[in-house]
Parts: sequence; structure tokens; C-alpha cells
Amino acid sequence: MGGGAGVKVSLNWLKRYVDIEEDPATLAHDLTMFGLNVESVEVCGGEYTDVVFGRVLECGRHPDADKLSVCTVDAGTGTPLNIVCGAPNVRAGLSVAVAVQGAVLKGGFKIKKTKLRGVVSEGMICSEIELGIGDDAGGIIELDMELEPGASLDGRLGSSDVILDIEVTPNRPDQLSHFGIAREIAALYMRELREPELFDLETGYDFPIETEDDSDCSRYSAAFVGDINIGPSPKWMRDLLISAGVKPIYNIVDVTNFVLLEMGQPLHAFDRDKLGRDGIFIRRGRSGESMYTLDDIEREVGEDVLLITDGETPVGVAGVMGGRDSEITGSTKRVLIESAWFDPRAVRRSSRELKLDTEASYRFEREGDPGITVRALMRVCRLIADIGAGKPEKLHADYLADRELIEPRTITLRTKQANRLIGTRLGADDLVELLSRLQLISVEDGKDINVTVPTFRRDITEEVDLIEEVARLYGYENIGREEGRCSSLFSEVSIVDMRNEELCDRLAARGFAEVITTSFMDPGDPGSFEWGESDPRSRHVEISNPLTVAQSALRTSLLPGMLRVIRRNAPVERDGIRIFELAKVFLQREEGRGLPREELHLTALFTRRSAPLQWHGEQRDFDFFDMTGEAESVLEWLGATKDLVMERIKASEPDFLFEWILKNRPAGNCGMIPGRVLARFDIDTRVYYFDLLIDVFPPGRSGRKSYIRISQYPAVKRDLSVLAPERVTFSDVRNVVKKRAKHLESVRLFDYYRGDRLGERKRSYAFRMTFRSMEGTLDDETVDRTIDKVLAALQNELQVTLRSE
Amino acid sequence: MSEEIPDRESIDRIGEEASRDITEASELETLERARIVWLGRKGRLTSALRSIGKLPEDQRPVVGGMINEWKEKLGVLFDNRCAELSGSCREEEPCPGDATLPGRRNWEGGLHILHRVIRNIKEIFYRMGYSIVEGPDVELDYYNFEALNFPADHPSRDLQDTFYVNRDILLRTQTSPVQVRFMEKNEPPLRIISPGRVYRNETPDPSHAAEFFQIEGLYVDKNVSLADLLNDITWFIHQFFGPDARVRFRPHFFPFTEPRAEVDMTCFGCKGEGCSICQKTGWIEIMGAGMVHPNVFKCAGYNPDSVTGFAFGMGIERIAMLKYGVDDIRRFLGNDMRFLEQFWNKTWVGVQE
Ligand SMILES: [Zn+2]
Repeated sequence: MGGGAGVKVSLNWLKRYVDIEEDPATLAHDLTMFGLNVESVEVCGGEYTDVVFGRVLECGRHPDADKLSVCTVDAGTGTPLNIVCGAPNVRAGLSVAVAVQGAVLKGGFKIKKTKLRGVVSEGMICSEIELGIGDDAGGIIELDMELEPGASLDGRLGSSDVILDIEVTPNRPDQLSHFGIAREIAALYMRELREPELFDLETGYDFPIETEDDSDCSRYSAAFVGDINIGPSPKWMRDLLISAGVKPIYNIVDVTNFVLLEMGQPLHAFDRDKLGRDGIFIRRGRSGESMYTLDDIEREVGEDVLLITDGETPVGVAGVMGGRDSEITGSTKRVLIESAWFDPRAVRRSSRELKLDTEASYRFEREGDPGITVRALMRVCRLIADIGAGKPEKLHADYLADRELIEPRTITLRTKQANRLIGTRLGADDLVELLSRLQLISVEDGKDINVTVPTFRRDITEEVDLIEEVARLYGYENIGREEGRCSSLFSEVSIVDMRNEELCDRLAARGFAEVITTSFMDPGDPGSFEWGESDPRSRHVEISNPLTVAQSALRTSLLPGMLRVIRRNAPVERDGIRIFELAKVFLQREEGRGLPREELHLTALFTRRSAPLQWHGEQRDFDFFDMTGEAESVLEWLGATKDLVMERIKASEPDFLFEWILKNRPAGNCGMIPGRVLARFDIDTRVYYFDLLIDVFPPGRSGRKSYIRISQYPAVKRDLSVLAPERVTFSDVRNVVKKRAKHLESVRLFDYYRGDRLGERKRSYAFRMTFRSMEGTLDDETVDRTIDKVLAALQNELQVTLRSE
Repeated sequence: MSEEIPDRESIDRIGEEASRDITEASELETLERARIVWLGRKGRLTSALRSIGKLPEDQRPVVGGMINEWKEKLGVLFDNRCAELSGSCREEEPCPGDATLPGRRNWEGGLHILHRVIRNIKEIFYRMGYSIVEGPDVELDYYNFEALNFPADHPSRDLQDTFYVNRDILLRTQTSPVQVRFMEKNEPPLRIISPGRVYRNETPDPSHAAEFFQIEGLYVDKNVSLADLLNDITWFIHQFFGPDARVRFRPHFFPFTEPRAEVDMTCFGCKGEGCSICQKTGWIEIMGAGMVHPNVFKCAGYNPDSVTGFAFGMGIERIAMLKYGVDDIRRFLGNDMRFLEQFWNKTWVGVQE
């Protein structure tokens, strides 16, 4: 769950529409609790206590740096300060703003005495940027006031302001403006909201506006301004724009930006005399078509791009950026100001296609207010008239494809449903009162209310949207929590989950470190492991937009990721690493369609020594039977050893890989990872592993249903040493013994030998059998008879003989 | 060998003689001979046991027991001597000289810290009546977005950069699809949590990972309210972080819930005073929550007028980072042993004091 992007609002600006007495921290907290998450509060401009008036007395070259000057500055400190300055415009005689030692500038930058390329500097001559009062980084401020050197400049430079950075979620485009935020503040504190002053426009200007497809652009309004007088905007406007992070350019552009930030409606001014034909036609681009945008880049504008054209030539990308060739210049005489409502999806497509995100596209994509287009024009015309930037025409043009778009909606809100969802006991009158604070006007209708939703709240489309507003206005902190809920709904046991948790505990207790590795793998990994075409592990799922090639496949085995853990831990230099992971792998289905098969695996890897280095006895290398010992323990715990068969994987010759089969289904595999595979992972120690398909093992208590009584009689132990032909495995011998030996409690192999001394192709096994009866103490004759039977069976069935010495 | 009638004295005599033979055997061969003589199938103790029937009935159990005791004792003696002679074991006293020598140890192991945190959270909700349900990591676009009220081509999808397999199949960006799948198959009332891995197409940095773990919860019944949500979450936070944690709820936006709440709790670092962890606010975001949106119910085939419900979700890494001061989210899937083993100790889990 994430948030949205931020909007920077100036406190001074907000105060134009609503009274704010709260200090910035309180305001930030209250807004946050009201659902407008304030991410930062920044005080800027004006409030610098240690920034003083100074005069540059002398100015010379830095001995070691061409671009630096060394100045002596009178800052009222008695002895003049020695200051190194990098600005091109510094010169003797200039009046400047000096940050002396102890001053803290924008961004918490602290002024200290330092050395710059070997020359001592005892302060800083400031530019607008450092003081946060402008965006001119090109040079230091040249002050045109006369003060005593050392006089504080507090309050004399720029305007002091507070900037709130507010997170705006995608459903609330109405908050992407100062007036929108002011509306929320007015609702929060129940204060009066002052509307911006407007120019009196009337509809009826004779100007052709047409669209190729109404669904791309449902409304296009335009105002016309003559007698354009290009020049700088007044200081108050420049200050507000700078505070909000927008660079002032000149009046006509500044007013459109101002209205964007004030009302949230993107505007665009065209030089009317540069429109080839006096009209606007909105259409999709044609394949092969291109145009220059304002940023002076030629862009291909194909069918996925929505264009503003003058009937023929594109003059702008709708809702994204204007065109270079109709840009306002110093010689512009007449402008057309566009205020439109484009289809959010169309703008999103254009913006994606051109990889161009702008303030305008950001707002259009979030579905702004179609009802505001003309109001925004009235506002911009008023500003243009007020600052003398031009003479607005009395009439405007307005293309509206669908009247319904600007009709307020009416939604019924059931009081009972609101209370049920929030857990309150509000009356219909309470709801009316609460909602009115957000300009949501409602009338009671019996127990329920009918709410009229203005067009600026296009996010409110159904009852539940209103309920959320009620909850927000009522205050989450006021929602009662004293009522304890008593539900008869209880948890269900998940046997699978329990089994998996216990399994992990068991491995941890046996000295394994649990790892959690990435779900991604390198598509080359199956090749590195030499998994054949027929191996399901070589059919991986591909990510179409991966972060990197090495992460472009989903893992089909835990082995590659876990080998990388071993590799990564090589520098840790442990004498042994034992790791396990219980996680999913993803196998592409045969038909290659639909969701992949997700298989839960338990994989363990071992390397280096069998036990930690210690003073008791020798350390030895981890070997195959250390691995199978661990695997047997897990398999026994899983309750599946009875039906489990272990077979050498034939395809793996000459490697040492084995497979477990449970009732004809593969249940896992194990062995030593071949050295050439390890080499591909840059590992030079032996690595053993086992890998179990956990889903194959029944999770529940499927084994024995009742306990076995315990005998109270003593056991009889007998050791046998037998000689077996090469093809006979110990498991064959054990199976015969188990089948034939009555009262057998256990068979434990304690010696195994294979070698020349026994003659060709022979092995010897020595094992201890423990016998115990439920009925009484076994006597030797009985056991002897049993042993004789066992020996006879071994001889008959396996040609295994008693070793005689 | 003549068959003597065993009595207590003769048994002890045989036993002592056998012990001497075994302990004094100087090589494996003599030891094996001694074994055959005394303990073998035709050995003296065995034959003594065989002739026990010649004793009066009341003496048989006593003498029989003695013989077995000796057999046992001699067996141990034999094994020990055998081991000594094979040279695999040294002369041992209970603790040779220095009892502070380290004891014989095997490898230590432990669970991954994320696993421990997930388990803790799961257990708390489990006790509160939530059942555990899981679902696939690779999901249909429908379950991950559409059924959760994220329309196609809508900026709300930008909140979650997505890995795609193809147009319709993606790696889930949240565990909420599990909830939709569960609702499709089950009728209310229901109360579940779904832990699992989720994926976001974000370039990893210290605070962002392309894959991480989430736990989401869902409760649907006839009259579940926002107040109930606040109750359950507050209870959980007090259980997990300790009763001193303060909790606050504020409005926020998640497409599949409405009304919705972002949940903050007092900062671990400063207990609410303000520090760098909480960006001086004293609060940190811990989870998102809200009332299930009617559109989500419709997709699941429920009637939004007859049921209500709440959902919440939290990122596990984030909680673990905050709780244990981990500075880089990439540590968790990095699996450096030196990182992992720090958390094996018992003191790393459970409720924050
Ligand atoms: Zn803090």
C-alpha cells in the first residue's frame, strides 16, 4: 500500500483564501490527521538572524583558483572579514548580504570559518538560492538599499514563508492546488473560505473548436487576450511562485502557472497570430507525424498521442505540453488561453508514449474538475487585467460535448449504513452538518439524506465515498472504541502451516541457518546446473519487464539462490555452512499457458566441515552420509520413510545424484553438487544438498493412528557380521532381516567394509539386532532360532553369508 | 565345560574373573577371545543362565537378574576396552583438569528473522480468531488489480510498479488477491490473514526492495465497522509492540478500501519525542487499513448491503527494520551469516518491553 506524489503549498498563499492562526507544526499535524499527510514543513526566506548587510571593500583573484575571488568585506565586525567568493558579479564597492559565522542557511547549511583552496574564508556572500528567496544561482544579490554594515537583514530580504509538502493520493486531484487545500483547511477548522476574484466573462465568442472524438476531449474553453504587454510579474506573484517551487518567467506565462497552482486547472497560452488557421481542432496524431514541443525537442506524435492543432498543424500535445512554434515571445500581441478537460486515459497514454510527465499531465491524468474550465479563464483574465499584462476580451469560447459532465451528482446516503460502517450513532442532521463543511450540500429525506456533489469532487461517486468523508470529518480519534466485539468466529487450524512451522523449527534445532533467498533467478541457471530439456526445472517463467537480466526468470529451484548464499558467505570464512530454505519454486506448465505451478520445496545445503572446530578430537570434512543422515531425520519426521525409495539418478552419471520416489511420485533429490557446476558459481569447496518436494508428503497425522505398547521385558542383543555380493545393498539386507526376525526391535549397522581382503565384489556388513518381546523375557534358544532363520533367508534370497572368522 | 549349578557366589566369581580378563586384555585379539569365553553364545555366563532351571523356583529370578546385570556390566566394560584399544578414545576422567574447557558442541542454527517476525504476527492474529490462508505469488491481473478496485489505465496503479509475465499475468504486488480468492470460495462470516511474498518493480535501495513480505488481514461479517477495525489493530499493536505503544489512525487512500486509515504508532527510536527514524514527528506509519470497498464485495459475489468488512496490511521488513534498527532492507535477502545469526537468540522475539 503506498502513497501518492506530493504537492508543495505556500502558507502565505493559503492565507489568501482562509484564515490560519495555527503555527505551522500544529497545522501540519491537524492536516495529517485529516488525511492530508504533511511530509515536511520548511520555513524559508527572511528569517536569517546572522545574515547582515555588508560592503565589499576589496576584491582580488584567488591565488590557486581562477573562478574564485578573495574579498575583504565590512560586515560591521570591526576588522573586515576575509571571504572567498565564487560569484562572477562580485566586485569592490558592492552592497551585499553576508552570512557570518553561526548563520544557518537554507537546507540547514551552517556557516563556519573554513579554508577554500588554502585561503581562509570567514563567512559567505549570499545568492538568492542560499537564502531561499529566489532561484537566481548565477551570482550574489546586489543590494540596492543603504544600511550600516552589520545591520541585520532579517525581514528585509524576500518574503518569509512556510512550505508544506503534502502527499496527495491519486483519488484527490482537487487537493492539487492552493485553493483545494484551503478548502480542506476551512472544513477542518470550520472557517470561512474566500473565493479568488474573477473577471466577468460571457460565452459567445465566435471561434471554431472541434474534436475528432468527443471521448478524448469533452470540454475545451478558450479566452482571448489582446494588447499583450510582456514583462515581469509583480513581486507578490513572483514570491508566491518561487515559494511553490515554480520559476517566474514573464507575466503571461506566470499567470497561467499561478492559476494552475491556485485552482489546479492547467492552462496554456498560445500566440494567436502563430496559429496558422484561426481555430482549434483536437485529434490523435497520425503515424509519421512529428512536432517540436516547448522544450525544443522534436517528437513523433503517433496515434497514441492526443494533439491540439490549428486545424492542420499540431500546436500542442493535449494536456501534456505546448508546441514550440506557437510559444509566447516578446513580440506576442494576442493570445489564446486554453482551459480544457481531456480524457484522463488519453493524457496518460500521450504522456507514457512521449515519456513526458508535466504538472499539467499529472493533473489531467488524475481527472480534474470539468466544471472549472471557464472559472479558471475568468481568474486568469482577472489577473492579466490586474497586472496590466493585456486586455481580455469580454467573450470566451466554450466547447462542451456532454452537459452531464458538469452537472453536480446527487447521491443518497443512508444514515444507518453510515453508522453501520463507521460504528457511530449519528443522526441525519449530523451528517448534513458534517458534509456541508466540505461544500457537499445535502437535504434530509426521511432518515436518509440526498447529497449534491460539486464537480470538483469527481472522486465521490457512490455512497461509500460519502461515508468516508463523514468518518474523516467526524474524526477517527472520536470513533468509539469502548465496545468490545464478541464474535463466535474462531480460527481454523491450518495443518499445512503448522507442519511447515514445526519443520523449520526442527531444522533450526539441528543446527541449520534458515535463509530466505530471492524468487528470481538468472535464466542461465538451469544451464549452469545442466538440467536437461525434459527436466521441469529448465522451464522457467520469464518476467517481461525485469530489473536486470540476472533477475528475469522466476526460480525453478532453490539451489541457484542458495549456492549464491554460500558464495556470498565465503569471505565470512566459517568452518561449515548448513543452510535451509522452505519456499516456493515456479514451474511453467507444459502447455505454457495460465499461472505457473507453484511448488513448495525444502532445500538444504552443506559445505566444509562436519562439526565446528573444537578441542575434542579431529575435525573432518562433511560427507555424503552426513547429508543423508540429516535428510533421513527430516524424512522420518515427515512420516514417509516406509514407502520411500531412493534411487540413483541415471542421467546424472558420473555425478553423485540420487532421487527419492514416494509411491511412484518424485519426492526430492540429493547428492553432491558437481564441481564443474560449483565452478560456475565460483565456489571451490564441496557442497552437498538435499531438496524435498514438501507438498508430496501428507501434512496431517496420516501415519500411525495409535501408540505401540511398550514392553517391560529386557532386550536381547545379537551382532551379526555378514558377507554380501556387490549388488546387494544394506537396505536389501535390512529388509530381509526385518521381514524374518520375530521380536526385532532395531537393526543398527556398526561396521561396513568393502575391499580386497574380502575377495572380488564383496562387501561386509556388521550389524546389531535388538530383540524384545511383549510377552516375556526372550530366552537364547528362541533368539538363536530366529537368527538361524534370518541367516537362511539372507542366504537364499540375497546370497549373503555369515562371515566366518 | 561342566555345567555347574549357579549360586550367587559363583555368579559373582565368574563376573569378577570376566571383568579382570576384559580390562586386562592388552590387544584386541585377546579381548575378543575373552568376549567369546565369557559372553559368547556358549560362554560361561550364557550357560549359567541356561542352567538356571536347576535352581529352586524361588531363587531363579534373583540369580537370573544377577546374571543379566553382569552381562550388561561386562558388555559396557568390553565396549570401553575395545574403544580404548582401538585408540579412538583417550583415558577419561569426568572432567580432565579444567572444567572451563568449552563443552562439546554441534552446529547452532536458527530461523530467519523475517520468519520469526511473521510467525509472531501470525500467532497474535491467530489467537484473535484469524485463520491463515495463502495464495499464489504469480497472479492474474484480475485478482491483483481489477477485483480490488484498481481500474485499468488508472493512476492508482502507479502506486505499485508491477512485474509482468504477460498482459494478464503478473507477480502480485500485494497479498490482497488471496482475500479475493478466498471470498470467491467461502461465504461470510470470515476472518483471515494472508502472509506472503510480494513484488514491486523498484530499483532496490536501502529502503526499497523489489520483493518483500506482507501480511494482510480481512474480516467480513454482517456488521463489521471502522470502530471494530480500530479495536483489532490497536489490540494487535499492543500485543506485538507492548502496551505502551500509542496508536493513531488517519484518513488515507487505498483503492480497495473505503473509508480507509493509515495506522501510525509511537516511534521506537524516541518513544514519541521525535528523532531521525520518525523524521521528527514522533510517529511512524505501520500499516494501511480500511473498510472493504463495495466493488470488491461485488467482485467476490457478496451483496455489499448485507455484509461489511475491514482489511489491513503491513510490510514485514519495515516492521523488522523499525523494531531492530536494521538500516538497509537488502540485508534480509542478503543472508550474510553474520546478520542471520544475530537474531537466533531468544531475546530477539516477542513483545517489545
Ligand atoms: Zn522517533
